[in-house]
Amino acid sequence: MNKLKLNSSSIIFLPILVCIPIAYELFINFHIGGIELFKEFIISALNPKINNEIIFSLVKRLNETIFIAFFSWLISIIFGVIFGILSSEVFYKILNLPIFLKRFLNLFLTFIRSIHEIIWGLILMQIYGINFSIGIIAICIPYVAINAKVFSEQIENINLKTIESIKQINGIKSSTLITLVWAPVIETFKNFGLYRLECAIRSTAVLGLFGVGGIGTSIFLSFQTLNFRELWTYLWGLAFLIIISKELLKKFNLSKTSKKFLTSFVIALFCISLFSLSFFVYFIFNKNAIPFNSINNLLISNFNFISYDFLKLLLETIVLCLLSTGIAISFPPIFILILNNKIGITIIRIISFLFRLIPTPVLILILLMFNDPSISLAAITLGLHNAAITSKLLLANLYNQDNKQYIAMKSLGVERRSSWLFGLFIKQANSYLAYCAYRSDIIIRETAILGVIGSVGLGWQLQESLSSFAWEEVIVILFAYSSIAIIGELINGKIKSNLT
Amino acid sequence: MINPLLELKEVSYKNKNNFTLKNVSLRIKSGEKIALLGKSGAGKTTLISILNGTLKPNEGRVKLFNTEFDKINLHQKSKISTIWQDLRLIEDLSAEQNVNCGLLGKQSFLFAFKNLLNISSFNKAHQYMQVCNLKKSIFSKNIRKISGGQKQRVAIARSLIQESDIILADEPFNNLDPKLTSYIKNLLLITKNKNKNKNKIKVPNTTLISLHRLDLLDGFNRIIGMKNGEILFDLEKTKLKKYHLNKIY
Repeated sequence: MNKLKLNSSSIIFLPILVCIPIAYELFINFHIGGIELFKEFIISALNPKINNEIIFSLVKRLNETIFIAFFSWLISIIFGVIFGILSSEVFYKILNLPIFLKRFLNLFLTFIRSIHEIIWGLILMQIYGINFSIGIIAICIPYVAINAKVFSEQIENINLKTIESIKQINGIKSSTLITLVWAPVIETFKNFGLYRLECAIRSTAVLGLFGVGGIGTSIFLSFQTLNFRELWTYLWGLAFLIIISKELLKKFNLSKTSKKFLTSFVIALFCISLFSLSFFVYFIFNKNAIPFNSINNLLISNFNFISYDFLKLLLETIVLCLLSTGIAISFPPIFILILNNKIGITIIRIISFLFRLIPTPVLILILLMFNDPSISLAAITLGLHNAAITSKLLLANLYNQDNKQYIAMKSLGVERRSSWLFGLFIKQANSYLAYCAYRSDIIIRETAILGVIGSVGLGWQLQESLSSFAWEEVIVILFAYSSIAIIGELINGKIKSNLT
Repeated sequence: MINPLLELKEVSYKNKNNFTLKNVSLRIKSGEKIALLGKSGAGKTTLISILNGTLKPNEGRVKLFNTEFDKINLHQKSKISTIWQDLRLIEDLSAEQNVNCGLLGKQSFLFAFKNLLNISSFNKAHQYMQVCNLKKSIFSKNIRKISGGQKQRVAIARSLIQESDIILADEPFNNLDPKLTSYIKNLLLITKNKNKNKNKIKVPNTTLISLHRLDLLDGFNRIIGMKNGEILFDLEKTKLKKYHLNKIY
């Protein structure tokens, strides 16, 4: 018998095995208590509430969402660029600075990146109370670090010989630096920066569920009062905002803008970055911090981990990550393979849009209507949400590529699914797997949200510790989260570099 | 005795475990037109990289204007310009923006910023591009969208616009047709009393060009031959004999 040989395509399908323990746990925890509510929820999707009052409220909430999302996006892009440059090797080469400063900065950025914006939001809310600025700052903190990583990776791609040739002209160092980094920064902004606005809108919506403001707050209040028609009005409103923002951004072509506009844009960016920095400094150092009296409290506190089963929660979080990642990787190709025709693909597109649209905390609350809280429930929620995102990318890449091989196979009489598998999918397998490795970094961070709502893993403990102002526990949990995220990022980095 | 512009004293450079330059000594004086000959891998590019300060030798000393290379300031360094064999232009920028990069050594940060925003003045860049026989239609084209020969001339224009005292060129005639090769060679080898040419551009008085084609040796006054990282001969053009060339090829 031949030895089993795994390749990227087979590795993508294997994680479907996670469905066995998930299905078992979901089956034993199943109840029919909320089936009627679920039916009502589904029917309300096609019958949202529309009257003057709710339209007025929707517009107001959308305005808040746009405001928080836009400013957090803009500030995080500006500081992302700055930190991206500061954490790239090019900067240290040109300014002849010691490279250990870069490592120190990267470590700091990795730490703040590894903690989800929801956690930052919860912490800031506990310290400063509910405040409109919380949303912007909470999103900005991890987003700056995420953007910095992307910008710095692109800057690192500058050819060393080009660096040498510009250095050799012997201009002042700032001129040399900006000349070298300008093109990769602009290119990254065009390819990645605008997509981050969509992410900022989603994050604002999720943060809203925790009371920060914006449309998320209305979604959560409607859900709490089981007013599903109202809930769908807000959800469709959010969908409208995401679609419109995407279409507008597609039209915004940086390379075709006039010189005058570009100059004004750069000056405006400069002013906003100055303003945001001063605002941030004011916010942190003003005297509104409620219970967070001094940093010393953290250092002299008694750490008492025995009071809760810390290791169990840590393990739960890791299992949750693995299960969700398995679903996110394997579901899209399997469903596309099974429903491999035009109608099937359209259905997948609609369902994945809905799973992307509904924030994960709301999704888990819906699933809780007929299932008890468990790791599997949290995993299926997080997995489905992320599978919706990976499926979008997979579909786009599958059907935008050269399909000569697919046509050739079909012309040889090969069955449609086999032609799809060997003519289209196999060419995308590597890049899809590499994207999934990146996605699993995000899944690790997102376990925090599910933990808070779904009573699973460290997220739940974080909520408890924050509510009781047990800052020493909060710090330990943050470090635990950060450690999982950093280890996950290192493993995924290895996988990505092997695949690409 | 006239001080040399550039001077190498017993310079060696080791790349990993192999010597790419062995005990090289060289003095380059103002007004010299030097052709650097040798097979691929002879050490010509390494020598040029050491002369312009990009590589630091493992042994020996490099002096520019009679000062140790490590001690000279940015202004002095900007008196050397280089045309690289692999051009090293910045992709994503237009041809004229790339040429303007040659001015970074003499301009402020604001100029660099305006150049990137495409709102700086390109008059000088255009003047040098025209001298390098580049057509107006390619001035604002992205560097990725122009031909190899055009890129080569953009790189030459970028070096010339530096208005340096010495130009180091590593196989600058690659990608050029015979007519353009002859034109660019004459441009780079223009003598001091002719350097206020009809285009009123300043061409460096001292030139070191690495070459493969022996039919291009006209116009040079000094020939250096290299093999296996060593200088095998360094003589006036008039004293060059066939057996010299046989030594290096």
